[in-house]
Amino acid sequence: MGSFKLGGMTLGSLFKKPETVCYPAEVKPAPKGLKGHVVVDADHCILCGICQKTCPCHTITVDKKARTWGINPFMCVQCGACVRACPKHCLAMDPAYTPVATAQSCTVVEVPDPKAEAAAE
Amino acid sequence: MGKATVIPFGPQHPVLPEPLHLDLVVEDETVVEAIPQIGFVHRGLEKLVETRDYNQFIYVAERICGICAMGHSLGYAETVESLMGVEVPKRAEYLRVIWHELSRIHSHLLWLGLAADAFGFESMFMHCWRLRERVLDIFEKTTGGRVILSVVKVGGVVRDIDDAMMAEIIRALDGIVDDYTKIMNTLLTDTSVKNRTVGVGYISHDDAVNLSMVGPFARASAVNYDVRAFGRGAYGDLSDFQPILDDGGDCFARVKVRCLEVLQSIEIIKELAAKIPAGDIEVAVKGAPADGAQASNVLEQPRGECYYYARGNGTKNLERMRMRTPTSQNLAGMTRALAGCDLADVNMIILTIDPCISCTER
Amino acid sequence: MAQFRQEFTPLDRDAVHQDAARRKEEGWRYVQTLAVNAEDGVDLIYTYMKDGLLENLVVPLVPHGSSMPSITDVYLAAFVFENEIHDLFGITFTDLAIDFGGNFYRVAVSEPMTVISPEQKAAREKARRVAAAKAEKDAKAARAADAQTGYLADHPDAAGESKPGRVFDTASEADVEAKLAGMDPEKVARVRAAIAAKAKKAAAAEAAERDAELEAKLAAMDPEKAAKVRAAMEAKAKKAAEAAAKEGE
Repeated sequence: MGSFKLGGMTLGSLFKKPETVCYPAEVKPAPKGLKGHVVVDADHCILCGICQKTCPCHTITVDKKARTWGINPFMCVQCGACVRACPKHCLAMDPAYTPVATAQSCTVVEVPDPKAEAAAE
Repeated sequence: MGKATVIPFGPQHPVLPEPLHLDLVVEDETVVEAIPQIGFVHRGLEKLVETRDYNQFIYVAERICGICAMGHSLGYAETVESLMGVEVPKRAEYLRVIWHELSRIHSHLLWLGLAADAFGFESMFMHCWRLRERVLDIFEKTTGGRVILSVVKVGGVVRDIDDAMMAEIIRALDGIVDDYTKIMNTLLTDTSVKNRTVGVGYISHDDAVNLSMVGPFARASAVNYDVRAFGRGAYGDLSDFQPILDDGGDCFARVKVRCLEVLQSIEIIKELAAKIPAGDIEVAVKGAPADGAQASNVLEQPRGECYYYARGNGTKNLERMRMRTPTSQNLAGMTRALAGCDLADVNMIILTIDPCISCTER
Repeated sequence: MAQFRQEFTPLDRDAVHQDAARRKEEGWRYVQTLAVNAEDGVDLIYTYMKDGLLENLVVPLVPHGSSMPSITDVYLAAFVFENEIHDLFGITFTDLAIDFGGNFYRVAVSEPMTVISPEQKAAREKARRVAAAKAEKDAKAARAADAQTGYLADHPDAAGESKPGRVFDTASEADVEAKLAGMDPEKVARVRAAIAAKAKKAAAAEAAERDAELEAKLAAMDPEKAAKVRAAMEAKAKKAAEAAAKEGE
């Protein structure tokens, strides 16, 4: 009578804490190191372009002349190769997933020029 | 004897997780011949190796198939390492095997749920996937991804598991074992399950050898072949490894082999977690594979032996990368198992073979 | 269980079927068949396994569009790979047990795996350049070594000197050339410019050093003589400048 063994387990589930969460109202806490999306610390970026070369899906664009660092989050596969390759450790993985959007867009960050800043001071 | 009729089966069918088409030649209710047809999800990933360097291609390799992601990245990394003569640190080998065995548990639990669903055992399906979710949670905590882990790199692994985390994994696995044994006992003793599976889709030992079958499909016909038994990498440090065999050769034997392999994987993880040495988790890999250098490799994936081949051309891009997946090897066995079965058993037979079509086509 | 080993062995094109039949008799397990696209043909690799030995049999350079005997009558499992190679590489297999007649994969381009992509072409050319540069480097090194031994034979007393590479220090230059061959042209131009700039700098530094030495010498002389030398040198420099200006015109 194998079925009744599983029946006991199923019945027990009635009184246990549910395995699932009521999603939009309640969100599972993200564990440390979850691969959500790539963020850049523009103050430390030196625009070397190593992340652009490392990226397997060519989603990062580094423009040295315009001093911008851009990523297309919809092309990114969250492999983390750029984070490991960055010589200045200014890239990081944020645990939040990219939100749903109606159109694709790029995130472009302006990198401040340390020389220009020094001149201004 | 009635007239022969051809009944198309798939590519869209409730029991099929992936697109596989079969032309079933039927006489009355009996299948006389089954001709498989694939090619619905061919993506040409092997060609992509020309535009990605060998470090980048690992992320392509693990996207061949969601369930076998860990296996493919591991197999690819091992092949390139053997091509370039790289020695991986011991701790990295252990970590790789731990993740690989976890992915075997998750693959088998997923399959068990689908099989239960195929013979109409809905509550079993729920319980199997509930347990699988716990394995995915372990992945999420240790690698940062649930299905695509991106944790293996050429020359090692990218993340370490500390002792506290290792203890947590063992605790989670102990929790799974408890519920899992109940599910397994139900499945293997229940009469309604036996009615659907015993004696269905029989493959004899000789047939299994002749058709070069691999994986649990072959082991259910008592073919003693498991790549893990070669004892490469961390598998060599296991105190005892015996492939799980069954001489039934039918659907029930395949269910049994996979059920027991989950417990075996849990044992392997526990043993390796207790033995894991301290040390580095990666070595730096420099340079490029030599022009014309070749390497081949085999790896035991959840569905069976997977073959890898790589050839270098002196640059960072490989000349050719090839993955021969277990399902493509088992397609011939599948046509043999289907010949002579009842039309109503076709879905059960296909599921117990556990075909992975995305792997097969790449 | 047996130890895992892998081997690559060449196999004659006509012997494929015979070899498969022999291996079946001996109890080998068929693993797979694959094709590698080369410039003037396709390499076919048949793999078998027995007792942990993974043996890859390489059939080199089967011409594009030619025909091979199928081994599906011996190993049925090969039908997947032979149909695949037919659709992707254009090698026909005769007497296939399950023949899809070119409909195994639905491909947009016929024989897509034989198309050489620009990236692959570039990679191959790069590989060739690197190989050629390396060969040249080796040849140069050999020549230098020859010259070196010749020089040593002519000047037996030079052997004890600390600078054996005197005139024949070509190895480092060849090294640079070999490295440059592997880079893309843009980078090569940049590197060359950098090398030129470095050489210029070194020359300037040397000149400055010479000047300084001269000054030191002059300071050591008595003032009258020093003034004379200075005047002579200025005249010489003026002359040189005039000559350079003329040349410039």
